[in-house]
Amino acid sequence: MTQNQLGQMYALTVMTPIDPTRAQSVRDILADLPRRPSPFARLKAAHFARWVTVPDFVTDPSQPAPEHLPGPYLLFSVTFDGLLDAFLEQLTASLETELQAIYGCCVGAPDPARGEPLQDYLRHNQVQTGLFFSAYPDATVETVMDALGVRQRTIDFAIRAQGMHPNELLSAFRTEF
Amino acid sequence: MTDCSVVGTGVSSQFPGASRSRGALRASSASGTSEQNVDGEAIAITVFSAMRRWGLLELPIFFLFVRRGRDSLRILKELSFIHAARWSVIRRLPANGDYPERRLRFPRLYFESNFNGGWEEYIDAFSYTLTLGMWAFWGSSYGFPSALPPSPFKAYIRRNEYEAGHYYSAYPDATATTVLAALRVSPKVAALRAAANAMSPEQFAQAWSDFLRDEQRSL
Amino acid sequence: MPNLDRADIQGDILEAYGNRYLHSSYVFLTVGDEGEGRAWLSERIPQVTTATRWQGPRPDSTFNVAVTHAGLPALGVPPRAVASFSDEFTEGMAARAPELGDVGPSAPAHWDRGLGTGDAHVLVTINALSDDARDAALEALREGLGPYVHLSVTLEQHAQMHSNAREHFGFADGFSQPAIEGVSEDSAVGEGVREKTGWRPLALGEFLLGHEDEESRTDRRARLPSAPDDPLGRNGTYMVWRKLHQDVALFRSTLREASASYGDGDEAKLMAKVVGRWPNGSPVTLWPEAPPAQFDARSPGANSFGYTDGDADGFGCPIGAHVRRSNPRDSLGFEGRLTFRHRIIRRGMPYGPPLPANAPGDDGEDRGLIFICFNASISRQFESIQRQWLNDGNIFHLGTDGDYLLGGDGGKMTVQGSRPFLLSPRAPFVSTRGGEYLFVPSITALGAIADGVAA
Repeated sequence: MTQNQLGQMYALTVMTPIDPTRAQSVRDILADLPRRPSPFARLKAAHFARWVTVPDFVTDPSQPAPEHLPGPYLLFSVTFDGLLDAFLEQLTASLETELQAIYGCCVGAPDPARGEPLQDYLRHNQVQTGLFFSAYPDATVETVMDALGVRQRTIDFAIRAQGMHPNELLSAFRTEF
Repeated sequence: MTDCSVVGTGVSSQFPGASRSRGALRASSASGTSEQNVDGEAIAITVFSAMRRWGLLELPIFFLFVRRGRDSLRILKELSFIHAARWSVIRRLPANGDYPERRLRFPRLYFESNFNGGWEEYIDAFSYTLTLGMWAFWGSSYGFPSALPPSPFKAYIRRNEYEAGHYYSAYPDATATTVLAALRVSPKVAALRAAANAMSPEQFAQAWSDFLRDEQRSL
Repeated sequence: MPNLDRADIQGDILEAYGNRYLHSSYVFLTVGDEGEGRAWLSERIPQVTTATRWQGPRPDSTFNVAVTHAGLPALGVPPRAVASFSDEFTEGMAARAPELGDVGPSAPAHWDRGLGTGDAHVLVTINALSDDARDAALEALREGLGPYVHLSVTLEQHAQMHSNAREHFGFADGFSQPAIEGVSEDSAVGEGVREKTGWRPLALGEFLLGHEDEESRTDRRARLPSAPDDPLGRNGTYMVWRKLHQDVALFRSTLREASASYGDGDEAKLMAKVVGRWPNGSPVTLWPEAPPAQFDARSPGANSFGYTDGDADGFGCPIGAHVRRSNPRDSLGFEGRLTFRHRIIRRGMPYGPPLPANAPGDDGEDRGLIFICFNASISRQFESIQRQWLNDGNIFHLGTDGDYLLGGDGGKMTVQGSRPFLLSPRAPFVSTRGGEYLFVPSITALGAIADGVAA
């Protein structure tokens, strides 16, 4: 009844409780993470990733009663290529420092928050995906990026090639590609 | 949603005037949502909603129906501004440290998307083209006002939306349609390159012209 | 059927004054004293031209008034009422520069003095049949301002129609307008919404506040769209005013160069493909090879076309052509549901002297287009078009290719066809020299502001 996988892509969702006294630290760490490149850029397999702090659930006015989280939670979501175990290995190896700082603030996390114990903690807190949609489930990050590069070079070439004589065209194409 | 670090007390986050254009997640960029939710062209939306218990029966059946159906998500593909999206039902929180396992009285529907365009246009597109689909996903959630008219639906999503602390896309400058175009055209270029080895300039000129004619919508 | 109180609605919004008004003058005022501002406004109200149909000859000139966000408190409108206006109007166009693509040479830092600074409070628009009529109206305006030492003119911009009713790139413009319920229903085919059952006009509330819009139609309670608190909102509308500089010499030279490798070198055809219409206004989708000798853009049925039947592939009108982007009609599928909430009423006029056809290069003159549009929601309508349809191509599956005619982002353009042609990215032909977001109040609302009862 779950769909964590589609094609060769995997949808991982993890919800971990944050130690309420460390909630601001988590927010600060996330805010200070570099962008372009993000630490996630070290992961060859990750298409999209996000960390979201969830201070509490929202209570809708029409709910019969409020329901609070026991404390703030951290949502971690990644869309990646391949299987979970291999990915978690890569994740804990490539983002060791960042993960240790972030998950070091989480309730029940191993101390230190790294390596296999951290992988187990994340698996323990995994939310099974019900429905997963991907526009290109069979394409890996590498395939996508290669294809984007080829497309751009083709466009640039096509513009240059306009008005070229056949001899020039063929040799230019062979050189470019 | 205002900065969620302030809303954490369980008080309803329905702010007066929330149904107006005044979205509390300030549209500080052309995307119509907080900068935190943006990486290049990619935009993140993260939503939790409280479900009525009948959703625990309806949603898994609906998910199954969509997964088994040959083309149920066709409209999502046609709209083609979504890279990836997911829906999950959270019934329980596992035990961690001092926190015991907790079965939720109001299970939560988790929705996330990675898409392009603008927040308003994205939700509008869902409202107008996937009206019944929105019912299937959010009909069991408390406070869901129905997908049409669009303004109350947008206000509902905003009330239940969370801002990302960190958001990443591996190819931030590429939209979903560009990725799909690239995936279509790249093998064609490779095939042409291979065939070019055996072609005369005149033959290639023709082949190149045919390639442009056939692939122009992907370039 | 909407209830149209024409005497309460300012003119030129629902129906254009018409092409006989060759001259337009836009006078931005700064109101330094709210008492003087209201007194002046009170005196002007009787002369404001409304949407009432003219019996007898048309007036020599027309007079209309709009207000910026900064202008509201300057005229003494209380804070709570001021807060009821939309977010984007409140922020103003200059603050929305990233949303609008007003970056680089179009950034507010380079705008004409007086625009985007908060100094512009009131916009007086005068449309005149002749330059004498315009001068008389301007003189009367200055006289009217005379007694009020705290009211000053911040900026005056004059514009006028060219002898052949073309804009500076040489194209007939401005006749395609949305079909509006109760106003312009005859043009529903092509200019309205295309549903399964056929074309229909758009709800009045998409363009005039205080009336049901398209969303109200799907609302069981038929709630009216968000608008400033009454009496300010009803029968008013939001207005976008933009001064767009056109580099005509660059446009001509770029297209001339590009056409060297285009098909049979037909420069005029390539230009038409970029725009989506031929210079005489005939749509390229209907006449892909050459324009018809005669074409009256204003004749009934002239704009009753769509793209889906017969030009879905863009071989007639390129998918990224300017007019196809700014009004995709039925081409985005889903029965128009991705387009119908993003329509605008366009007015506007070229400004500056024409560049002679045989000019060797740019002459340094300031010329371009005063772009004006009316809509009930600046963000959903004008800004959405700018962001999603003009400055980007993703919704048309054109990646990040922006509108080639307006440019700025340096995207390429593909002219679809059996032999597709690509135009390479280049410097923009059009840059923004300034603009404002404004509100056009009804006559009632103007009276309320003038009387200080706009609470």
